[in-house]
Order: sequence, then structure tokens, then C-alpha cells
Amino acid sequence: MKRGLLLLVALLCGLFLVSAQAADYPDKDLQGVIMWGAGGATDNVTRAITPLVEPILGKQIVLINKPGGTGAISTQYVYSNPSDGYTLLFGAENPQVHRILELSDMDYKDFYPINILGRGVGVIVANNDTPWNSFKELVEDAQKRPGEIKMGSTGPGGLPYTVGAMTKSITNMDVTYVPFQGEGPGVTALLGGHVDFIPAGITAVREHIRAGRVKALAMVSAEPVPGLEDIPLITADFPEFEKYLPWGPFYGVWVKRDVPDDAKQVLVNAFKQGAADPKFQDFLKDFGTVSMNISGDEADAFLKKWQSVTCWMYEYAGATKVSPEKLGIPKP
Amino acid sequence: MAWLDPSLLLLTAAGTLAGIYVGAIPGLSVTMAVSILISFTFSWDVNDALALMVGVYCGGVYGGSRTAILLNIPGAPAAIATAFDGFPLAQRGEAGRAIGVSTVISVMGGFIGVAALALAAPAVAEFALKFAPRDYLLLAIMGLLLVGSLSGESMAKGVFAGAFGVILGLVGMDPLTAEGRFTFGTVALLGGVHFVIAMIGFFGVSEALVQLHQIGVKPIKQDVSRILPSWSVIAKYIPLSIRTSIIGVFIGALPGTGGDIAALLAYDHAKRTVKNPSRPFGTGAYEGLIAPESANNAAIGGAYVPMLTLGIPGDAVTAVFIGALFIHGLKPGPMLMIETPHLFWFTVGNLVLANIFLLIFGLTGIRIFAKMVELPKGILVPAIIVLSVVGTYAIKNSLMDVYWMLGFGIFGYFLKMYGYQVGPIILGVILGPLMDESYRQAIISCRNDFGIFMLDLVTNPLSLVLTVAVIFMMINQTRLWPFFLRIFRRRT
Repeated sequence: MKRGLLLLVALLCGLFLVSAQAADYPDKDLQGVIMWGAGGATDNVTRAITPLVEPILGKQIVLINKPGGTGAISTQYVYSNPSDGYTLLFGAENPQVHRILELSDMDYKDFYPINILGRGVGVIVANNDTPWNSFKELVEDAQKRPGEIKMGSTGPGGLPYTVGAMTKSITNMDVTYVPFQGEGPGVTALLGGHVDFIPAGITAVREHIRAGRVKALAMVSAEPVPGLEDIPLITADFPEFEKYLPWGPFYGVWVKRDVPDDAKQVLVNAFKQGAADPKFQDFLKDFGTVSMNISGDEADAFLKKWQSVTCWMYEYAGATKVSPEKLGIPKP
Repeated sequence: MAWLDPSLLLLTAAGTLAGIYVGAIPGLSVTMAVSILISFTFSWDVNDALALMVGVYCGGVYGGSRTAILLNIPGAPAAIATAFDGFPLAQRGEAGRAIGVSTVISVMGGFIGVAALALAAPAVAEFALKFAPRDYLLLAIMGLLLVGSLSGESMAKGVFAGAFGVILGLVGMDPLTAEGRFTFGTVALLGGVHFVIAMIGFFGVSEALVQLHQIGVKPIKQDVSRILPSWSVIAKYIPLSIRTSIIGVFIGALPGTGGDIAALLAYDHAKRTVKNPSRPFGTGAYEGLIAPESANNAAIGGAYVPMLTLGIPGDAVTAVFIGALFIHGLKPGPMLMIETPHLFWFTVGNLVLANIFLLIFGLTGIRIFAKMVELPKGILVPAIIVLSVVGTYAIKNSLMDVYWMLGFGIFGYFLKMYGYQVGPIILGVILGPLMDESYRQAIISCRNDFGIFMLDLVTNPLSLVLTVAVIFMMINQTRLWPFFLRIFRRRT
């Protein structure tokens, strides 16, 4: 009797093992870790895509926000979970600068891109009371009175900071960087006239441009953005920008590199299909984000280029703690 | 009148009821509840989704005061100031009456907030934009001066606790430079100490430990015979609650501050302006309960002002609402009111409904709640500790935070044993980072020239008013004040 029971248990265990090995991933709900807090851009993109992917996977993706250290905490958390493909990292561009800022040893080299869903585009906007009508006028004015113009900025890693560094490396203009917690508070300060201009993501300023509450001076892009064609491109006056572009924040889904290939494939297919859904595409358009929907090697190439451009720009701006050269990040 | 649709009515009611319980449990935050609802209501019609979320928001802000009054554990940051006088009331056996009064006053504050939103939204939003970093600094200093009133037996102990809180608030990554502060090189500390974690530790766990001393003592009998306050009682407090509601609306409308700071400033205001409170403040004064309760509910209407008129969140919850609008294909921003005016009026109607439901749900079931305090400590204390751990973990899903919280709880217990108050610590954790950030922004804006910075404080009309207020509040608390008063009296 006892032996029979043991046999039964052994048999059940065996069955379980076999079923786990078979390609019926996923056989339980997944966990999605969001790098930023509730209400942030990454959170919004994540909560827009998951309801579309869940029916394709046939399982739920249970979402949790694990903010802190501009994503270093959630990156580490997902990395410390088993490589079974049941923990997804919903993140933004931030980990790609963590190593040069000594925030963490980890970046997207340790993760496999399931899908890079979309990227944002920067636009330089100015307060309506300022005299400038183009970005060129702003740069010339800044060269005339160094340090007197106030630019809304963020900490290293944010779009305002990075575009500011980009502009500085090309035009050598000297403005005062007033840092804010994010571009949202920076744009609010711009509306109140507490800073003169700010480079910000389209998402944060598009409605203010449309309402005529701020002036759009230049789009930080080499190609026109659909729906915003009338904003002059920054490359028109400063063709040197082309070597850095396209540049912008991006949002995507990652798993650990050593997740089994068949699980990766299931996820890649599901997210590819979900991201192509017209509902998500409409969301991206309203959100001011360019759809990418790329994965695997293509996404890795994009991530590498983004990292090399950004890290070297920070190096020139004197914002790095460890030189990208030492970390083996190639020059753009 | 889309919001009078029966199904929407039901959703608002359900949201409000759920919100009261979410708010009452420390650590289950309204921000979190609303962001979970975004995924949950993804395929719904936008009106249905908003009705539910507005209900949760209103209910949640109100619900936080329940546990603050009954157990000295604020369920949400906006209810911290409620505990200062609410809990002493419960200890006197007046919990039922305290909840009754706070409910009626909360709803009144809520209505004042909605009225401000409906009637003056664009003007309030423009005013809120005028606040420069230096003005936020002055507001934070004003709030921190409250340490003087919360110190308990010794001013020095209060200042120590406040300064400890400020330093605690600095732990983690500096948001302006991405530099780690007090992190000792560990990634786990980069996220810093969330102020709700400090709140749960210092109020929840340490209070539970203190109550263990009375484990054999028979709990105070709660008088639940008269819950509904009489009209004459309410009428007496109306002038104060209107003043504090106005504070709530403005502080709520400022993009950098929310209901928690509004309630603290309102408490401070009450303490300064009410000459003859029903009892001394801190020992169960109804004025000290009314001020924060009206302010934090009025702050809801205030927080909607910049969100609906400009697409700028007034607090953390409205930031999540903006995300919800994006996901439902709307375009939050200055054009929202022009292109989709029905959404504005729909929200106003929703808020009115949620406040009505708040009155209904708030005034029912008080008896059971009040009786909760009469539970034997042997049951109550372990329950509080379990809830504290669960709530802390839920904030960032981090075990590190649970350790912090338990550490704060034990530390807070010893502080209380030695006559230190924990109120100033929380004040420091909330206001320290705001002060740090706004001071640096202000001084960088003047290109590090301290002279220009001081000049700005007196040449800008808004800053001047705030500076004068800060100076007045400071002198007011020193021995110089009676001296000034005497000179003034002699002249007149």
C-alpha cells in the first residue's frame, strides 16, 4: 500500500516534470515588473500593452511597480528571479546609462529584448514671453549673454538633460541648467515662467503646443514626426545633430538573457502581435511616441547604438563617473 | 447629465465604498488602487472607468482618517494630521462622535473643493503656476515650523525628531543629480525611504508596541449613542472649516504638493487662529480634527484643477488619472476642456456624487468601527502589525521596505518611551525633500548668488507674502511676541 502510494507520487512528479519541459509555456500567470511608479510614462505604456497581450498568451500578466534608483532596483530584482521566462521587465532607456553613472553594474546587455514598443522624440519649447522664434535665435542669444538663460533640466538620464548635453556639445552655448525631478515638473515651471526653455518629450508638451501656451522652437529629429510636421527640424539649422539621431527615450519588455529560447519565442510572438493591435498603435500616436515593435537582434543593435551615443555624449559633457571607454562601450 | 445614469451611479457608489476601506488600511494607497483599476477597466467605456476611479479617490482620502482616529495609525498620508487630535478623542471614548463630525466636515470640504473646481478652475490653475521654486521652499518651511506645535514636552526633542526626519528623507538617489546619498553603495538603498513606510513604522508599529503596555487593562468604553453631530455643533465649526478648505484647495492645486501637506498646514492654521478650542490642541480638540479633515478632502477638488485645465497633475493620484485618459484615447492638456468639455462636467458631477455617497457610507457602520477599539489588545496589536507588514510590502513590493518599517517601529517605540514625538519625524520626511529640491532649484536659478535669492524673496509679490507669513509664524512662537503685542496695544 505504502509502496503503491510512493509510486503514484513518483509518477505524478514525473508527469509534472515532463509537462514542464514540454513546449506549453506559459502554464501559469506571469509577473510584470514596471521600472517606474504609477502614472509615469513607462507605467502608462505597460498598462496599455498588457491587456492586449494577455489573451494571446492565454495567461494573466500580474503587474507590479518597483520604482527606485531610475530603474536600478527593478533591474536587479528581475535579474535575481529564476530564468524561466515568468518574470518580465517593463522598462525604459535608463539602465543603459547606469554603468557610466555607477548606479548599477547591470544594463540591457544582461537582458533579452522581447519587444521595444516605441520611442519618444524630443522637442525644444520656450516660454511665450521669450523673444526667440527659432532655435537658432535662442543659441545666438545664449552665446551673447552666457549663463543668463535658464533651461529646465533633469538629472542625468532624463531627456532634457541629454538633449541639453547634445546641444552643448554642438553649439557650445552656455545656459543655466535648473534641474527638476522629471520633465513634467520642468514643463510646469516653463508654463509659470520660472525657466525660459526646456527640451522635453513630445508627450509632455504636445498639448501645450497645440493650445499655444508654449512655443515649439525645434524638433530634435532628422525626420518630420507625423502630425507635427510644421515644427522645424533641429537638423535644418544644425546639421551636426544628425550623428546623434534618432535619439529619445524608449519603452519595452525584457527577460533575462538565459531564458529558454522557446519561451522567448512565445513572448516575442505574443508581444509582436499585441503591439501591432490598432488600439495600441492609436495609443502610441496620442502619446506622442513613434511605434517601433522590434525584438531580438534588431532591438539589440538599436540598444547598442543608443548606449554608445548617449554614454559618449555624457563623457564629453563631463557627467560620467566611469569612462565609457573603460567599460568597452564603442564611440558612435 | 451622463453621471446620473443608474449604472454610473452604482459604479461611483461601489468605488467610494471600496475607497474607504483602501484608505483605511495603511499601505494600501489610493494611487495604487487607481493604477490597478486602469488595467482592470481597460476595455470599459471611459465614463464608467472614471466614475469608479473618482469614487475610489474620494473614499480613499476620507478612509485614511478612520484608523488615524481609532488606532493612531493614519491609513494614508493625508490623514497624518488627523491623528494628532483624533486619537486623543478616541482615548476619551468619543471615537463615535469624532468620526461623525469628521465625516460631515470632510464632505463639506469635498463640496468646497468641487465648487472651486467648477467655478474657478482656470483662475486657480493660473495662480498655481505662479509658484516658483522659492515659493515651494517657503511653503515647506511654513510646514516644518509645525514642529514647534508637535514637540510635546520638550522643544529640543521635537527639533531632534524633525531633523532626523529631514535626513531620513534624503536617503536614496538625489533626483536632481542621480547621485546616491546615504546609500553606502548598495542598490537596495538607491530607492530611498518612502515616507509612507516611515509613517507606518513610526505610527503603526510603534503605537502597537506602546499599546502592549496596556495588555491587561480594560479598553475604554466608547460612547456610540450620539454619532450624528447636531446642527449647532457643525454650525460652530463652519467658519474654521471654510478657511481650512480654502487652504486645501490651493495646496491641492499646486503641482508639487498634495493632501498630506494641505492637512498639515490646515492643522497649523487652526492651532494659530482658534483662540478657545474645545480642549487644548493635541488632547482631543475638535478643531484639530476638523481642520485637516476639511482640508484633505478639499484638496481633491484642488488637485483636479491643474489636471483638467492644463493636463498637469495636482498630486500623485491625478497623475495616474492622466495616464488613464491617455489610455482611453483622450488628450489630457489645455485643450481637454475646450475639445471635450463634457468630460470636465462629468468629473464635477462625479465628485459631487462621490461626496454624497461618502456621507451615506461614512455615517453608517461607525458603531462597528468604534467598537473595534474595544477589542482586547491581544487581538488588536498582532492584527495591526500584520497589516503594517502587508501594507508596507505592497508599496514598492520590496522586502527591504519591510525591514525599514519594522526598524522604525522599534526605534519609534523607544523614542515614545523617552518622550520624543514621532509627528515631527514624519513632517521632516515629507517636507525635507521638498525643501531640499526647491531650495536648490531656487538658488541655481539665481546662478548661486545668495544676494539675488534674498532679493527675490522680497521683490516678488507672492514670495513677499509668503516670506512675511514665515517671519510672522517664527516670531509668533518666540518670547518676543508678547513684547511686540504689548507695544502694539499701547499705541492703539
